[in-house]
Amino acid sequence: MIAVGRGPLGRAWRQMGEDIWLQAVAVSTLCVALAIMGTYLTLCLNLGAAASRLLTGPTLLVVLTPEAGPDRGPVLARELSRLPGVATASYVGRDEALVRFRRRLGPQASLLDDLEVNPLPNGVELVLAPGAPAGPELAAFIKNRAGVAEVVSGRPWLKRLERAVSAGGDLAVALGILLFLGVVLVTSNTVRLAVHARRRQLELMALVGASPGYMRGPYLVEGMLQGLMAALLASLLLWVLFSLLSAPAALPLGLRLGQVLAFPPLLPLCLAVLAVAATLLGGFLGVGRSLRPREML
Amino acid sequence: MIRLEQVSKSYPHRDEPALKRVSLAIPPGQFVYLTGPSGAGKTTLLRLLYGAELPTAGRVLVGGVDLGRLSPGKLPLLRRRLGLVFQDFRLLPSRSVFENVALSLEVAGVERRQIEHRVSEVLEQVKLKDMASAPADTLSGGEQQRVALARALAPGPDLILADEPTGNLDPDNALAMMRLLVGDYVGGATVLVATHDPTLLSLVRGARLVHLERGLLEEME
Repeated sequence: MIAVGRGPLGRAWRQMGEDIWLQAVAVSTLCVALAIMGTYLTLCLNLGAAASRLLTGPTLLVVLTPEAGPDRGPVLARELSRLPGVATASYVGRDEALVRFRRRLGPQASLLDDLEVNPLPNGVELVLAPGAPAGPELAAFIKNRAGVAEVVSGRPWLKRLERAVSAGGDLAVALGILLFLGVVLVTSNTVRLAVHARRRQLELMALVGASPGYMRGPYLVEGMLQGLMAALLASLLLWVLFSLLSAPAALPLGLRLGQVLAFPPLLPLCLAVLAVAATLLGGFLGVGRSLRPREML
Repeated sequence: MIRLEQVSKSYPHRDEPALKRVSLAIPPGQFVYLTGPSGAGKTTLLRLLYGAELPTAGRVLVGGVDLGRLSPGKLPLLRRRLGLVFQDFRLLPSRSVFENVALSLEVAGVERRQIEHRVSEVLEQVKLKDMASAPADTLSGGEQQRVALARALAPGPDLILADEPTGNLDPDNALAMMRLLVGDYVGGATVLVATHDPTLLSLVRGARLVHLERGLLEEME
């Protein structure tokens, strides 16, 4: 069967079939570039989620005076939960506090067995909303409420962590853009290689009156198909790699390696979108001036 | 159909211009031989006519279109009105005869059914219909040049430019090729054949003869 009158997709498919080695080189190069991009995205997403979990942990503990009656704690918790910037406020009775303390001590919990009385006070645990100011103003405001003995900042280093996460986010975006530009560069060079390999064919098309758009179309489609194939391969590669590396090893800040290298379910879609965007951009750059009807002959 | 007005063409790294103030007018339907030794400027003149080069000075008009003023975007439209034949055939080697001929119609956006009809027609004219599905690189030189001619004829061009079309052919195939170029198949198109082979000149009676020598054009009797 002789095929004529194909659209850009058909012509792209055909020219891909004519040079399998070129395709293999293009797809594997793109696959490596996308795998690097995918690893970076995974680390950003998982570390971002971990930081978010840390930042939304209990950040303020309101200690009640011994004179505060048994109803004061729950009432204060309800009042504080309505304050701006407070995600949740929950009353923790002294018995519950002792249970938690035991749990935290783990194997050393038996040290508490000799206690005759529970020394811990009643309290209210505040969880602040992400990004909410946990500054001294809030603590001072709460301290003036009836029945409050003191306000303890649960994790004084959280503020520093929050600043670091914010700065890290900006850096991550900048690095992400650089990586994306790297993928565009790889794609544009791959397309340039393909154009060079088919120079004679393109010259001939220009001679018989093919417009630059007619010649460019299959290259853009070819680039997109290569990008999608590379995205699929890179996703598979990362899934296997992360599965192998995800040992239950502990990392600082209570993180686990398995959490940091968890394969994000949307990663293949992200890589496919990135690949298509990069190959379209790279395709335009790669074909560039080389398909102008006067210059190419 | 073709008008050259005081056309000169120089290249940066050559002392002597390839063409020197060449003027030529070819009316529609005329058959013209452009003769001259190798390096005389024949190929340069043809390249100016299909817009691969721009003149250093003067004007080149094809079908009333001044190529110096033609925007790059319109150049493909002009080339679709031309049929080009080269000494080295310039076929897509792995594609079939049919696909090579269809290419000149495909790029112009002709419908599939019309392409199939027209390609069959021109392959019949150049006596290659039975070889339609054969890959181009399996054909002999003479057959490949007939495929190239069929590709040039398929869109029904107004002007056929042939640069040494028999340069790679034996005398029998050269004769067959020239017969195709002067037959009814060209459909009244203007034909300009560049050649340095004097034996071809006797094949076309009444053909106009112009001679290029070191970039200067001279009309011959």
